[in-house]
Amino acid sequence: MSVAGLSPSFKAAFDANSQVFSLAGVIRPRSVDEIADSIAMLKQAIDGVRGVLYVDVKRLIQMNNTAFHAFVRVALDACRARADLRVVIVTSSVVGWATRMFGHLNEIEPQITVEVYDSTFYPGQSFVEDTSFIPILRTQTKMTWRHERSILPRHGLRPGIAMADVCCGIGDFAVLVQKEFQPARIVALDHSKASLAYAREVATNFGITDIEYTYGDASEMLLEDNQFDFVSCRHSLQIFNERELLLKELYRICKPGGRVYITNEKNSHCLGEPRAQSIQWTYNEVAKLFSHFEMDVELGPKSRRYLADAGFDDILVESFMVTNHDGDPQDFADVIAAWEHVYAGEMAVRRGDPPEFIQRFRQGFRDHIFAALHPKGYAGWPIWVASGRKPT
Amino acid sequence: MDVGNSVPAEAIFEPLLQFEMEMGTFLSEWQHCDHLSSYLARMISHNRTDPVRHSNFFSSALNELLEVSFRSGAASGHIGLAIYRHGPIERVQITFPCPAEQVPFYREAVSKVDRSDAHARYLDSISTDMAPSRESILLDLAINFDASIRIEESTLHAVTLIVDLPLEGLVS
Repeated sequence: MSVAGLSPSFKAAFDANSQVFSLAGVIRPRSVDEIADSIAMLKQAIDGVRGVLYVDVKRLIQMNNTAFHAFVRVALDACRARADLRVVIVTSSVVGWATRMFGHLNEIEPQITVEVYDSTFYPGQSFVEDTSFIPILRTQTKMTWRHERSILPRHGLRPGIAMADVCCGIGDFAVLVQKEFQPARIVALDHSKASLAYAREVATNFGITDIEYTYGDASEMLLEDNQFDFVSCRHSLQIFNERELLLKELYRICKPGGRVYITNEKNSHCLGEPRAQSIQWTYNEVAKLFSHFEMDVELGPKSRRYLADAGFDDILVESFMVTNHDGDPQDFADVIAAWEHVYAGEMAVRRGDPPEFIQRFRQGFRDHIFAALHPKGYAGWPIWVASGRKPT
Repeated sequence: MDVGNSVPAEAIFEPLLQFEMEMGTFLSEWQHCDHLSSYLARMISHNRTDPVRHSNFFSSALNELLEVSFRSGAASGHIGLAIYRHGPIERVQITFPCPAEQVPFYREAVSKVDRSDAHARYLDSISTDMAPSRESILLDLAINFDASIRIEESTLHAVTLIVDLPLEGLVS
Protein backbone atom coordinates (compact mmCIF):
# COMPACT_ATOMS: atom_id res chain seq x y z
CA MET A 1 0.00 0.00 0.00
CA SER A 2 1.27 3.47 -0.84
CA VAL A 3 0.31 6.65 0.98
CA ALA A 4 0.54 10.36 0.13
CA GLY A 5 -0.60 13.34 2.14
CA LEU A 6 -1.22 17.09 1.84
CA SER A 7 -1.18 17.56 5.59
CA PRO A 8 -1.86 15.40 8.62
CA SER A 9 -5.58 16.07 8.05
CA PHE A 10 -5.62 14.38 4.64
CA LYS A 11 -4.58 10.97 3.41
CA ALA A 12 -4.65 9.25 0.04
CA ALA A 13 -3.78 5.57 -0.25
CA PHE A 14 -3.91 2.81 -2.81
CA ASP A 15 -4.20 -0.87 -1.99
CA ALA A 16 -3.19 -2.75 -5.14
CA ASN A 17 -4.43 -6.09 -3.80
CA SER A 18 -8.02 -4.97 -3.50
CA GLN A 19 -7.74 -2.22 -6.15
CA VAL A 20 -9.03 0.36 -3.68
CA PHE A 21 -7.94 3.99 -3.87
CA SER A 22 -9.03 5.79 -0.72
CA LEU A 23 -9.26 9.41 0.30
CA ALA A 24 -9.73 10.37 3.94
CA GLY A 25 -9.80 13.51 6.07
CA VAL A 26 -10.09 17.15 5.01
CA ILE A 27 -8.81 18.12 1.58
CA ARG A 28 -9.22 21.79 0.75
CA PRO A 29 -6.23 22.82 -1.38
CA ARG A 30 -5.80 26.27 -2.86
CA SER A 31 -4.51 24.80 -6.10
CA VAL A 32 -4.21 21.39 -7.73
CA ASP A 33 -0.43 21.59 -7.28
CA GLU A 34 -0.89 20.96 -3.57
CA ILE A 35 -2.47 17.57 -4.25
CA ALA A 36 -0.27 16.64 -7.20
CA ASP A 37 1.17 13.59 -5.39
CA SER A 38 -2.27 12.18 -4.72
CA ILE A 39 -3.46 12.87 -8.24
CA ALA A 40 -0.37 11.10 -9.57
CA MET A 41 -1.09 8.18 -7.25
CA LEU A 42 -4.61 7.88 -8.61
CA LYS A 43 -3.33 7.95 -12.21
CA GLN A 44 -0.75 5.31 -11.40
CA ALA A 45 -3.38 3.20 -9.65
CA ILE A 46 -5.65 3.34 -12.68
CA ASP A 47 -2.80 2.29 -14.96
CA GLY A 48 -2.33 -0.88 -12.93
CA VAL A 49 -5.99 -1.75 -12.42
CA ARG A 50 -7.75 -4.51 -14.30
CA GLY A 51 -11.56 -4.41 -14.30
CA VAL A 52 -12.90 -2.40 -11.36
CA LEU A 53 -11.22 0.41 -9.44
CA TYR A 54 -12.88 1.12 -6.11
CA VAL A 55 -12.60 4.71 -4.88
CA ASP A 56 -13.36 4.76 -1.18
CA VAL A 57 -14.39 8.22 0.09
CA LYS A 58 -16.29 7.00 3.16
CA ARG A 59 -13.82 8.76 5.43
CA LEU A 60 -13.61 11.92 3.39
CA ILE A 61 -14.81 14.59 5.82
CA GLN A 62 -14.37 17.62 3.58
CA MET A 63 -13.28 18.20 -0.01
CA ASN A 64 -13.46 21.52 -1.82
CA ASN A 65 -14.42 21.95 -5.46
CA THR A 66 -10.79 22.42 -6.48
CA ALA A 67 -9.92 18.92 -5.28
CA PHE A 68 -13.22 17.42 -6.43
CA HIS A 69 -12.74 18.63 -10.00
CA ALA A 70 -9.12 17.43 -10.06
CA PHE A 71 -9.81 13.87 -8.87
CA VAL A 72 -12.96 13.53 -10.94
CA ARG A 73 -11.10 14.73 -14.02
CA VAL A 74 -8.65 11.83 -13.69
CA ALA A 75 -11.43 9.28 -13.31
CA LEU A 76 -13.44 10.66 -16.24
CA ASP A 77 -10.41 10.81 -18.54
CA ALA A 78 -9.50 7.24 -17.63
CA CYS A 79 -13.01 5.97 -18.38
CA ARG A 80 -12.98 7.76 -21.72
CA ALA A 81 -9.62 6.24 -22.63
CA ARG A 82 -10.38 2.71 -21.42
CA ALA A 83 -13.65 1.00 -22.25
CA ASP A 84 -12.67 -1.95 -20.00
CA LEU A 85 -12.42 0.17 -16.85
CA ARG A 86 -15.21 0.50 -14.31
CA VAL A 87 -14.99 2.83 -11.34
CA VAL A 88 -17.05 2.24 -8.21
CA ILE A 89 -17.09 5.19 -5.82
CA VAL A 90 -18.11 4.29 -2.27
CA THR A 91 -19.49 7.18 -0.20
CA SER A 92 -20.92 7.19 3.30
CA SER A 93 -24.53 8.05 4.09
CA VAL A 94 -23.17 10.00 7.07
CA VAL A 95 -21.46 12.64 4.93
CA GLY A 96 -24.33 14.32 3.11
CA TRP A 97 -22.46 16.61 0.74
CA ALA A 98 -20.20 13.78 -0.51
CA THR A 99 -23.10 11.50 -1.35
CA ARG A 100 -24.72 14.30 -3.33
CA MET A 101 -21.57 15.55 -5.11
CA PHE A 102 -20.23 12.17 -6.16
CA GLY A 103 -23.74 10.94 -6.93
CA HIS A 104 -23.80 12.96 -10.17
CA LEU A 105 -20.87 11.17 -11.75
CA ASN A 106 -22.92 8.28 -13.08
CA GLU A 107 -25.02 10.81 -15.01
CA ILE A 108 -21.85 11.97 -16.75
CA GLU A 109 -20.06 8.66 -17.21
CA PRO A 110 -21.90 5.29 -17.19
CA GLN A 111 -18.63 3.47 -16.39
CA ILE A 112 -18.69 5.17 -12.98
CA THR A 113 -21.15 3.95 -10.36
CA VAL A 114 -21.66 5.33 -6.89
CA GLU A 115 -22.54 3.17 -3.89
CA VAL A 116 -23.71 4.58 -0.57
CA TYR A 117 -22.39 2.63 2.38
CA ASP A 118 -24.97 2.81 5.14
CA SER A 119 -26.80 -0.34 6.12
CA THR A 120 -24.20 -2.76 7.42
CA PHE A 121 -21.61 -1.12 9.59
CA TYR A 122 -20.90 -4.43 11.32
CA PRO A 123 -22.00 -8.07 10.80
CA GLY A 124 -24.45 -8.41 13.73
CA GLN A 125 -26.16 -5.08 13.21
CA SER A 126 -29.49 -6.48 12.03
CA PHE A 127 -29.91 -8.45 15.28
CA VAL A 128 -28.79 -5.71 17.63
CA GLU A 129 -30.84 -2.93 16.05
CA ASP A 130 -34.14 -4.77 15.88
CA THR A 131 -36.60 -2.10 17.04
CA SER A 132 -38.62 -4.69 18.97
CA PHE A 133 -35.58 -4.83 21.24
CA ILE A 134 -35.98 -1.20 22.36
CA PRO A 135 -38.06 -1.74 25.55
CA ILE A 136 -35.57 -4.37 26.70
CA LEU A 137 -32.63 -2.07 26.03
CA ARG A 138 -34.26 0.47 28.33
CA THR A 139 -34.73 -2.16 31.03
CA GLN A 140 -31.10 -3.26 30.65
CA THR A 141 -29.86 0.31 31.08
CA LYS A 142 -32.10 0.76 34.13
CA MET A 143 -30.53 -2.35 35.67
CA THR A 144 -26.92 -1.49 34.86
CA TRP A 145 -27.37 2.18 35.84
CA ARG A 146 -27.94 1.16 39.48
CA HIS A 147 -24.30 0.07 39.48
CA GLU A 148 -22.73 2.44 36.98
CA ARG A 149 -23.95 5.65 38.60
CA SER A 150 -21.57 4.99 41.51
CA ILE A 151 -18.82 3.50 39.30
CA LEU A 152 -18.64 6.30 36.72
CA PRO A 153 -17.04 8.97 38.97
CA ARG A 154 -14.13 6.60 39.66
CA HIS A 155 -13.50 6.53 35.91
CA GLY A 156 -13.50 10.30 35.50
CA LEU A 157 -17.09 11.35 34.90
CA ARG A 158 -17.81 14.62 36.69
CA PRO A 159 -19.93 17.75 36.19
CA GLY A 160 -18.89 20.35 33.65
CA ILE A 161 -16.90 18.12 31.29
CA ALA A 162 -17.32 17.48 27.57
CA MET A 163 -18.49 13.93 26.93
CA ALA A 164 -19.27 11.67 23.98
CA ASP A 165 -21.38 8.55 24.21
CA VAL A 166 -20.40 6.49 21.18
CA CYS A 167 -22.84 3.77 20.09
CA CYS A 168 -25.46 5.44 22.27
CA GLY A 169 -28.29 3.23 20.98
CA ILE A 170 -31.61 4.58 22.21
CA GLY A 171 -29.81 7.30 24.16
CA ASP A 172 -31.10 6.48 27.63
CA PHE A 173 -27.61 6.31 29.16
CA ALA A 174 -26.89 9.83 27.88
CA VAL A 175 -30.13 11.08 29.45
CA LEU A 176 -29.28 9.47 32.80
CA VAL A 177 -25.76 10.91 32.69
CA GLN A 178 -27.10 14.35 31.84
CA LYS A 179 -29.52 14.29 34.78
CA GLU A 180 -27.06 12.85 37.30
CA PHE A 181 -23.73 14.44 36.34
CA GLN A 182 -24.58 17.59 34.33
CA PRO A 183 -21.68 17.54 31.88
CA ALA A 184 -21.22 20.78 29.95
CA ARG A 185 -21.67 18.97 26.65
CA ILE A 186 -22.85 15.52 25.57
CA VAL A 187 -22.61 14.26 22.02
CA ALA A 188 -24.38 10.91 21.56
CA LEU A 189 -23.61 9.03 18.35
CA ASP A 190 -25.18 5.95 16.84
CA HIS A 191 -25.56 4.33 13.44
CA SER A 192 -29.24 3.45 13.81
CA LYS A 193 -31.56 6.21 12.64
CA ALA A 194 -34.50 4.43 14.29
CA SER A 195 -32.70 4.34 17.65
CA LEU A 196 -31.73 8.00 17.35
CA ALA A 197 -35.30 9.02 16.54
CA TYR A 198 -36.40 7.18 19.67
CA ALA A 199 -33.58 8.80 21.64
CA ARG A 200 -34.61 12.31 20.60
CA GLU A 201 -38.20 11.58 21.56
CA VAL A 202 -37.20 10.28 25.00
CA ALA A 203 -34.97 13.32 25.60
CA THR A 204 -37.80 15.66 24.59
CA ASN A 205 -40.21 13.87 26.92
CA PHE A 206 -37.73 14.35 29.76
CA GLY A 207 -37.39 18.02 28.87
CA ILE A 208 -33.74 17.51 27.96
CA THR A 209 -32.68 19.61 24.99
CA ASP A 210 -28.92 19.77 25.26
CA ILE A 211 -27.84 16.29 24.16
CA GLU A 212 -26.40 16.42 20.64
CA TYR A 213 -27.62 13.21 19.01
CA THR A 214 -25.84 12.43 15.78
CA TYR A 215 -25.97 9.72 13.15
CA GLY A 216 -22.59 8.22 12.37
CA ASP A 217 -20.33 5.25 12.04
CA ALA A 218 -18.33 4.76 15.23
CA SER A 219 -15.31 3.53 13.30
CA GLU A 220 -15.11 6.72 11.21
CA MET A 221 -16.70 9.57 13.09
CA LEU A 222 -17.07 13.14 11.87
CA LEU A 223 -16.07 14.32 15.37
CA GLU A 224 -12.78 16.19 15.56
CA ASP A 225 -9.64 15.10 17.39
CA ASN A 226 -9.02 15.73 21.11
CA GLN A 227 -12.50 17.10 21.90
CA PHE A 228 -13.82 15.14 24.85
CA ASP A 229 -12.81 14.67 28.49
CA PHE A 230 -14.80 11.46 28.73
CA VAL A 231 -15.77 9.05 25.96
CA SER A 232 -18.08 6.17 26.78
CA CYS A 233 -18.74 3.17 24.55
CA ARG A 234 -20.95 0.67 26.30
CA HIS A 235 -21.67 -2.93 25.24
CA SER A 236 -20.42 -2.14 21.76
CA LEU A 237 -16.79 -3.12 21.41
CA GLN A 238 -17.97 -6.71 21.83
CA ILE A 239 -20.32 -6.57 18.84
CA PHE A 240 -17.95 -4.81 16.43
CA ASN A 241 -15.74 -6.95 14.23
CA GLU A 242 -13.21 -4.14 13.75
CA ARG A 243 -12.45 -3.49 17.41
CA GLU A 244 -9.02 -1.92 16.94
CA LEU A 245 -10.50 0.58 14.48
CA LEU A 246 -13.22 1.56 16.92
CA LEU A 247 -10.74 1.98 19.79
CA LYS A 248 -8.54 4.10 17.55
CA GLU A 249 -11.47 6.42 16.94
CA LEU A 250 -12.37 6.60 20.64
CA TYR A 251 -8.73 7.45 21.36
CA ARG A 252 -8.67 10.08 18.62
CA ILE A 253 -11.66 12.10 19.85
CA CYS A 254 -10.59 11.89 23.52
CA LYS A 255 -8.57 14.82 24.90
CA PRO A 256 -5.07 14.05 26.14
CA GLY A 257 -5.57 13.37 29.85
CA GLY A 258 -9.20 12.40 29.24
CA ARG A 259 -10.58 8.90 29.66
CA VAL A 260 -12.29 6.34 27.46
CA TYR A 261 -14.81 4.19 29.33
CA ILE A 262 -15.99 0.85 27.94
CA THR A 263 -18.34 -1.81 29.27
CA ASN A 264 -18.55 -5.35 27.94
CA GLU A 265 -19.86 -8.76 28.93
CA LYS A 266 -18.57 -12.26 29.37
CA ASN A 267 -21.73 -14.11 28.52
CA SER A 268 -20.48 -17.55 29.50
CA HIS A 269 -20.33 -16.23 33.09
CA CYS A 270 -24.06 -15.56 33.26
CA LEU A 271 -25.30 -17.76 36.06
CA GLY A 272 -28.28 -18.87 38.08
CA GLU A 273 -29.45 -21.17 40.82
CA PRO A 274 -31.36 -23.46 40.70
CA ARG A 275 -30.79 -25.20 37.35
CA ALA A 276 -27.21 -23.93 37.11
CA GLN A 277 -26.00 -26.59 34.67
CA SER A 278 -28.61 -25.91 31.98
CA ILE A 279 -28.08 -22.16 32.33
CA GLN A 280 -24.32 -22.47 32.01
CA TRP A 281 -24.59 -24.71 28.93
CA THR A 282 -26.82 -22.20 27.15
CA TYR A 283 -24.58 -19.19 27.88
CA ASN A 284 -21.50 -21.06 26.72
CA GLU A 285 -23.43 -21.61 23.50
CA VAL A 286 -24.39 -17.90 23.39
CA ALA A 287 -20.68 -17.05 23.27
CA LYS A 288 -20.13 -19.48 20.39
CA LEU A 289 -23.19 -18.19 18.56
CA PHE A 290 -22.01 -14.59 18.70
CA SER A 291 -18.56 -15.66 17.62
CA HIS A 292 -20.15 -17.18 14.50
CA PHE A 293 -21.39 -13.67 13.62
CA GLU A 294 -17.98 -12.09 14.33
CA MET A 295 -19.00 -10.72 17.74
CA ASP A 296 -17.14 -11.41 20.99
CA VAL A 297 -19.49 -11.39 23.97
CA GLU A 298 -16.63 -12.86 26.04
CA LEU A 299 -14.69 -9.62 25.70
CA GLY A 300 -15.22 -8.16 29.19
CA PRO A 301 -12.03 -9.43 30.88
CA LYS A 302 -10.02 -8.66 27.72
CA SER A 303 -10.76 -4.94 28.14
CA ARG A 304 -7.41 -4.20 29.83
CA ARG A 305 -5.51 -5.70 26.91
CA TYR A 306 -7.56 -3.87 24.30
CA LEU A 307 -7.12 -0.52 26.05
CA ALA A 308 -3.38 -1.07 26.57
CA ASP A 309 -2.88 -2.06 22.93
CA ALA A 310 -4.77 1.07 21.85
CA GLY A 311 -2.26 3.28 23.71
CA PHE A 312 -4.12 4.15 26.91
CA ASP A 313 -2.42 4.33 30.30
CA ASP A 314 -3.70 4.36 33.90
CA ILE A 315 -6.15 1.59 32.98
CA LEU A 316 -8.81 0.78 35.56
CA VAL A 317 -10.88 -2.41 35.35
CA GLU A 318 -13.70 -3.57 37.58
CA SER A 319 -16.79 -5.72 37.26
CA PHE A 320 -20.27 -5.85 38.66
CA MET A 321 -23.08 -8.36 38.62
CA VAL A 322 -26.59 -7.37 37.63
CA THR A 323 -28.90 -9.72 39.52
CA ASN A 324 -32.54 -10.53 40.00
CA HIS A 325 -32.26 -8.77 43.35
CA ASP A 326 -31.56 -5.41 41.69
CA GLY A 327 -35.07 -3.96 41.73
CA ASP A 328 -37.91 -6.00 40.31
CA PRO A 329 -36.96 -9.65 39.46
CA GLN A 330 -39.47 -9.48 36.62
CA ASP A 331 -37.25 -6.91 34.88
CA PHE A 332 -34.41 -9.41 34.91
CA ALA A 333 -36.76 -12.13 33.61
CA ASP A 334 -38.01 -9.83 30.82
CA VAL A 335 -34.46 -9.19 29.65
CA ILE A 336 -33.67 -12.90 29.50
CA ALA A 337 -36.92 -13.57 27.62
CA ALA A 338 -35.87 -10.98 25.03
CA TRP A 339 -32.44 -12.60 24.73
CA GLU A 340 -34.11 -15.97 24.14
CA HIS A 341 -36.28 -14.41 21.43
CA VAL A 342 -33.33 -12.90 19.53
CA TYR A 343 -30.56 -15.44 20.24
CA ALA A 344 -32.57 -18.66 19.91
CA GLY A 345 -35.43 -17.40 17.76
CA GLU A 346 -33.38 -15.47 15.21
CA MET A 347 -29.60 -15.88 15.43
CA ALA A 348 -29.53 -19.66 15.93
CA VAL A 349 -32.07 -20.06 13.16
CA ARG A 350 -29.96 -17.86 10.88
CA ARG A 351 -26.90 -20.00 11.71
CA GLY A 352 -28.90 -23.05 10.63
CA ASP A 353 -29.03 -24.82 13.99
CA PRO A 354 -31.24 -27.96 14.18
CA PRO A 355 -34.53 -27.79 16.15
CA GLU A 356 -33.26 -30.07 18.92
CA PHE A 357 -30.31 -27.76 19.54
CA ILE A 358 -32.56 -24.71 19.58
CA GLN A 359 -34.91 -26.42 22.02
CA ARG A 360 -32.07 -27.14 24.46
CA PHE A 361 -30.67 -23.64 23.84
CA ARG A 362 -34.03 -22.09 24.73
CA GLN A 363 -34.30 -24.21 27.87
CA GLY A 364 -31.27 -22.55 29.42
CA PHE A 365 -32.85 -19.11 29.07
CA ARG A 366 -36.08 -20.43 30.54
CA ASP A 367 -34.17 -21.91 33.46
CA HIS A 368 -32.44 -18.57 33.95
CA ILE A 369 -35.87 -16.92 34.13
CA PHE A 370 -36.99 -19.66 36.54
CA ALA A 371 -34.00 -18.88 38.77
CA ALA A 372 -34.66 -15.14 38.57
CA LEU A 373 -38.29 -15.50 39.66
CA HIS A 374 -37.73 -18.30 42.19
CA PRO A 375 -38.33 -17.06 45.74
CA LYS A 376 -34.99 -18.50 46.82
CA GLY A 377 -33.30 -18.18 43.45
CA TYR A 378 -30.36 -16.11 42.26
CA ALA A 379 -29.68 -15.06 38.70
CA GLY A 380 -26.75 -12.99 37.50
CA TRP A 381 -25.43 -11.14 34.46
CA PRO A 382 -21.82 -9.96 34.86
CA ILE A 383 -20.48 -6.78 33.26
CA TRP A 384 -16.86 -5.62 32.99
CA VAL A 385 -16.14 -1.91 33.20
CA ALA A 386 -12.80 -0.53 32.05
CA SER A 387 -11.36 2.87 31.34
CA GLY A 388 -8.02 4.17 30.17
CA ARG A 389 -6.41 7.60 30.08
CA LYS A 390 -5.14 9.06 26.85
CA PRO A 391 -1.54 10.07 27.58
CA THR A 392 -0.81 13.81 27.69
CA MET B 1 -29.97 44.84 -7.31
CA ASP B 2 -31.12 41.28 -6.83
CA VAL B 3 -30.61 38.56 -9.36
CA GLY B 4 -31.30 34.87 -8.94
CA ASN B 5 -33.59 32.68 -6.88
CA SER B 6 -36.41 34.37 -5.05
CA VAL B 7 -36.66 34.05 -1.29
CA PRO B 8 -39.75 34.64 0.80
CA ALA B 9 -39.74 38.38 1.40
CA GLU B 10 -41.87 38.05 4.52
CA ALA B 11 -39.53 35.55 6.18
CA ILE B 12 -37.89 36.85 9.35
CA PHE B 13 -34.33 35.62 9.67
CA GLU B 14 -32.90 35.74 13.18
CA PRO B 15 -29.26 36.78 13.40
CA LEU B 16 -26.97 34.01 14.70
CA LEU B 17 -23.54 35.57 14.32
CA GLN B 18 -21.63 38.25 12.53
CA PHE B 19 -17.98 38.38 11.62
CA GLU B 20 -15.66 40.86 9.95
CA MET B 21 -11.97 40.72 9.05
CA GLU B 22 -9.56 42.93 7.16
CA MET B 23 -9.15 41.50 3.70
CA GLY B 24 -5.36 41.67 3.98
CA THR B 25 -5.45 39.52 7.10
CA PHE B 26 -7.89 37.10 5.53
CA LEU B 27 -5.73 36.71 2.44
CA SER B 28 -2.58 36.12 4.46
CA GLU B 29 -3.42 32.44 4.93
CA TRP B 30 -5.44 30.11 2.68
CA GLN B 31 -6.27 27.92 5.68
CA HIS B 32 -8.44 30.76 7.05
CA CYS B 33 -11.22 29.50 4.76
CA ASP B 34 -11.06 26.01 6.26
CA HIS B 35 -10.66 27.16 9.85
CA LEU B 36 -13.40 29.79 9.70
CA SER B 37 -15.90 27.54 7.97
CA SER B 38 -15.31 24.68 10.41
CA TYR B 39 -15.45 26.90 13.49
CA LEU B 40 -18.48 28.96 12.46
CA ALA B 41 -20.35 25.86 11.27
CA ARG B 42 -19.87 24.20 14.62
CA MET B 43 -21.09 27.30 16.44
CA ILE B 44 -24.32 27.69 14.51
CA SER B 45 -25.15 23.96 14.31
CA HIS B 46 -25.12 23.13 18.02
CA ASN B 47 -28.90 23.24 18.39
CA ARG B 48 -29.78 21.55 15.11
CA THR B 49 -31.32 18.04 15.19
CA ASP B 50 -28.02 16.42 14.22
CA PRO B 51 -25.42 19.06 15.11
CA VAL B 52 -22.37 17.12 13.92
CA ARG B 53 -23.68 16.30 10.46
CA HIS B 54 -25.30 19.72 10.05
CA SER B 55 -21.99 21.32 10.91
CA ASN B 56 -20.16 19.14 8.37
CA PHE B 57 -22.66 19.97 5.63
CA PHE B 58 -22.76 23.68 6.46
CA SER B 59 -18.98 23.94 6.66
CA SER B 60 -18.70 22.47 3.18
CA ALA B 61 -20.96 25.18 1.71
CA LEU B 62 -19.48 28.03 3.75
CA ASN B 63 -15.94 27.06 2.81
CA GLU B 64 -16.80 27.37 -0.89
CA LEU B 65 -18.17 30.88 -0.32
CA LEU B 66 -15.07 31.88 1.64
CA GLU B 67 -12.84 30.46 -1.10
CA VAL B 68 -14.77 32.49 -3.71
CA SER B 69 -14.14 35.59 -1.57
CA PHE B 70 -10.48 34.66 -1.17
CA ARG B 71 -10.04 34.39 -4.92
CA SER B 72 -11.79 37.72 -5.58
CA GLY B 73 -8.42 39.39 -5.99
CA ALA B 74 -9.02 42.49 -3.85
CA ALA B 75 -6.61 42.99 -0.97
CA SER B 76 -8.07 46.17 0.54
CA GLY B 77 -11.27 46.59 2.53
CA HIS B 78 -13.02 44.03 4.70
CA ILE B 79 -14.72 40.70 4.33
CA GLY B 80 -17.99 40.58 6.26
CA LEU B 81 -20.02 37.53 7.07
CA ALA B 82 -23.38 37.24 8.78
CA ILE B 83 -25.39 34.08 9.41
CA TYR B 84 -29.13 34.12 10.08
CA ARG B 85 -31.73 31.44 10.67
CA HIS B 86 -35.34 31.01 9.71
CA GLY B 87 -36.78 27.58 10.59
CA PRO B 88 -34.79 24.91 8.72
CA ILE B 89 -32.88 27.51 6.65
CA GLU B 90 -29.58 29.23 7.41
CA ARG B 91 -28.89 32.40 5.48
CA VAL B 92 -25.27 33.30 4.80
CA GLN B 93 -24.64 36.90 3.82
CA ILE B 94 -21.07 37.36 2.71
CA THR B 95 -19.66 40.68 1.54
CA PHE B 96 -16.20 41.05 0.07
CA PRO B 97 -14.29 43.66 -1.92
CA CYS B 98 -14.36 43.13 -5.62
CA PRO B 99 -12.96 45.18 -8.53
CA ALA B 100 -15.84 46.89 -10.34
CA GLU B 101 -15.06 45.13 -13.59
CA GLN B 102 -15.52 41.76 -11.87
CA VAL B 103 -19.02 42.47 -10.59
CA PRO B 104 -20.83 41.60 -13.82
CA PHE B 105 -19.22 38.16 -13.76
CA TYR B 106 -20.69 37.47 -10.32
CA ARG B 107 -24.05 38.83 -11.42
CA GLU B 108 -24.03 36.57 -14.46
CA ALA B 109 -22.94 33.52 -12.46
CA VAL B 110 -25.76 34.03 -9.95
CA SER B 111 -28.32 34.51 -12.70
CA LYS B 112 -27.38 31.16 -14.25
CA VAL B 113 -28.02 29.29 -11.01
CA ASP B 114 -31.73 29.85 -11.30
CA ARG B 115 -32.14 28.79 -14.90
CA SER B 116 -33.86 25.57 -15.94
CA ASP B 117 -30.61 24.24 -17.42
CA ALA B 118 -28.68 24.64 -14.14
CA HIS B 119 -28.34 20.90 -13.57
CA ALA B 120 -27.04 20.30 -17.10
CA ARG B 121 -24.62 23.23 -16.75
CA TYR B 122 -23.35 21.80 -13.48
CA LEU B 123 -22.73 18.36 -14.99
CA ASP B 124 -21.03 20.02 -17.93
CA SER B 125 -18.72 21.98 -15.62
CA ILE B 126 -17.68 18.79 -13.83
CA SER B 127 -17.22 17.03 -17.12
CA THR B 128 -15.16 19.67 -18.93
CA ASP B 129 -13.71 22.34 -16.61
CA MET B 130 -10.10 21.84 -15.55
CA ALA B 131 -10.76 23.85 -12.39
CA PRO B 132 -14.00 25.03 -10.82
CA SER B 133 -15.20 28.42 -11.97
CA ARG B 134 -17.22 30.87 -9.85
CA GLU B 135 -20.24 29.69 -11.79
CA SER B 136 -19.67 26.00 -11.13
CA ILE B 137 -19.19 26.67 -7.41
CA LEU B 138 -22.48 28.54 -7.21
CA LEU B 139 -24.14 25.74 -9.22
CA ASP B 140 -22.66 23.24 -6.76
CA LEU B 141 -24.28 25.16 -3.90
CA ALA B 142 -27.62 25.30 -5.70
CA ILE B 143 -27.67 21.65 -6.74
CA ASN B 144 -25.91 19.80 -3.93
CA PHE B 145 -27.01 22.04 -1.06
CA ASP B 146 -30.40 23.13 -2.44
CA ALA B 147 -29.24 26.73 -1.98
CA SER B 148 -31.06 29.83 -3.16
CA ILE B 149 -28.58 32.52 -4.14
CA ARG B 150 -28.94 36.28 -4.61
CA ILE B 151 -26.43 39.01 -5.24
CA GLU B 152 -26.48 42.57 -3.91
CA GLU B 153 -24.10 45.32 -4.94
CA SER B 154 -23.96 47.73 -2.06
CA THR B 155 -21.01 49.77 -3.35
CA LEU B 156 -19.01 49.91 -6.52
CA HIS B 157 -16.20 47.90 -5.03
CA ALA B 158 -17.94 45.12 -3.13
CA VAL B 159 -20.45 42.37 -3.72
CA THR B 160 -22.73 40.65 -1.29
CA LEU B 161 -23.86 37.11 -1.88
CA ILE B 162 -26.94 36.00 0.04
CA VAL B 163 -27.19 32.24 0.16
CA ASP B 164 -30.08 30.40 1.81
CA LEU B 165 -29.16 26.85 2.83
CA PRO B 166 -32.01 24.50 3.88
CA LEU B 167 -29.59 21.95 5.33
CA GLU B 168 -31.63 20.96 8.38
CA GLY B 169 -34.08 19.21 6.07
CA LEU B 170 -31.31 17.53 4.10
CA VAL B 171 -29.45 16.25 7.16
CA SER B 172 -32.50 14.97 9.00
